[in-house]
Amino acid sequence: MEPLLRIEDVSKRYPGFFLDRVSFSLAPGRVMGLIGKNGAGKSTTLKATLNMISPESGRVTMFGRDFFRHEKECRQRVGVVFGGTDFYPLKRLGAITAVTRRFYAQWDEEQYRAYLRRFSLEEGRKFKELSNGMKVKYLLALALSHHAELLILDEPTSGLDPVSREELLHLFRRIVRRENCAILFSTHITSDLDRCADDITYIRDGRVLQSADRESFLRSFDHLKTPGDTGPLTLEEIMLRTERSEWDDDAAL
Amino acid sequence: MMTLLYKEIRLCAHPASVVFAFLGCLVLVPAYPYSVIFLFGCLAPYITFVNARETNDPWFTATLPVTKRESVRAKCLLTVSLQLFQLLFSLPFALLRGALGIPDNPVGIDAAPAWYGFGLMIYAVFDLVFLSSFYKSGYRAGRAFVMASVPLLLGMAAVESAAHIPALAWLDGGEHWRKQLPVLLAGAVCYAALLPPACRIAERRYEKVDL
Repeated sequence: MEPLLRIEDVSKRYPGFFLDRVSFSLAPGRVMGLIGKNGAGKSTTLKATLNMISPESGRVTMFGRDFFRHEKECRQRVGVVFGGTDFYPLKRLGAITAVTRRFYAQWDEEQYRAYLRRFSLEEGRKFKELSNGMKVKYLLALALSHHAELLILDEPTSGLDPVSREELLHLFRRIVRRENCAILFSTHITSDLDRCADDITYIRDGRVLQSADRESFLRSFDHLKTPGDTGPLTLEEIMLRTERSEWDDDAAL
Repeated sequence: MMTLLYKEIRLCAHPASVVFAFLGCLVLVPAYPYSVIFLFGCLAPYITFVNARETNDPWFTATLPVTKRESVRAKCLLTVSLQLFQLLFSLPFALLRGALGIPDNPVGIDAAPAWYGFGLMIYAVFDLVFLSSFYKSGYRAGRAFVMASVPLLLGMAAVESAAHIPALAWLDGGEHWRKQLPVLLAGAVCYAALLPPACRIAERRYEKVDL
């Protein structure tokens, strides 16, 4: 199946950090989790994908088209949510929506109203009055109301309590099932991926360490097992043991 | 582009900027240095740019189906709209002043065609410096405003001084309006000539900015 999103050899150099030829792809109807510790390059990868930062090299293909050449057309079919960012805190949701809906040819007012009801959001409230979970839900409602085929979510669950996180992850599964779209979301919370990711891409120090479906991903880290491990390693164990080997190397020095 | 301009007005434009745009009516004040109105016309985009930065507007815009270049063009269009609206809004008040028989401004230059021409020249130079400087980083509004304030203040001082130089008396007062028309025309040409390159430089620079 033709992937909705293909990222090939995307590189970006900052002082002290190098996003090194990141490549992975996402098929329709899948949820992909982008994991890595803080500062590993998850957000940089998403920003480079969306041309918010200029990659030095690499190629992003979205819906079978070169994203950088067909940015506007591709963006019509993408929903983007940045968790933890306050947009226009003093503006009412109704004002933000009134502006947003004008940008999308496929805007579905009925669907938007349905999401508002489902998320118990009131248009008369100001953005700053919403809790962190409600802010993400509102931004998701905007992203879903123009029938986005691809959702790119940067740390949507960070800062949320376990109940709100669980609710959001459940929602991701429902969205993929009902809307027939794909989701790429970054997180450093491995339990999020246990619950809803079909595919996992692990970024470490700006490089893709592994990108595969969940089962293959877990199997590929069998070499980290110790004699005491009887079952498969969890994502948290994989991440901790991978990152810990770096600390051990540092300690040896 | 009109959708983006709507977004700028609805979500980004600081209320003070709108108030500043309406301050063109100050030409009705009997004694006032009218060139200060140009300062308000330059403060309006500055405050809006600061407001946009503080409300994470660049991030929100980056989630919309628009390119970085278009987002810059929308801000340029908003700046032009605020400044031209201010000058156009002042027109009926300048005419009303004449109709009411209010004597010439004893403080400085009168709101006559030459004043409008100088205003357009000042706005053109301010915008060129401010927009191109701001979009080098996409967030340093204060630095851009300080840099653009130098030609702005020099321009304001020159315009106000002109009213007190006997040889340049024709620049002041409505009775010389015919002689002043070339100044107005020069201002319009200057504004029309400098804004497009200012916008192009800003677009080119913002393309390289990493959000």
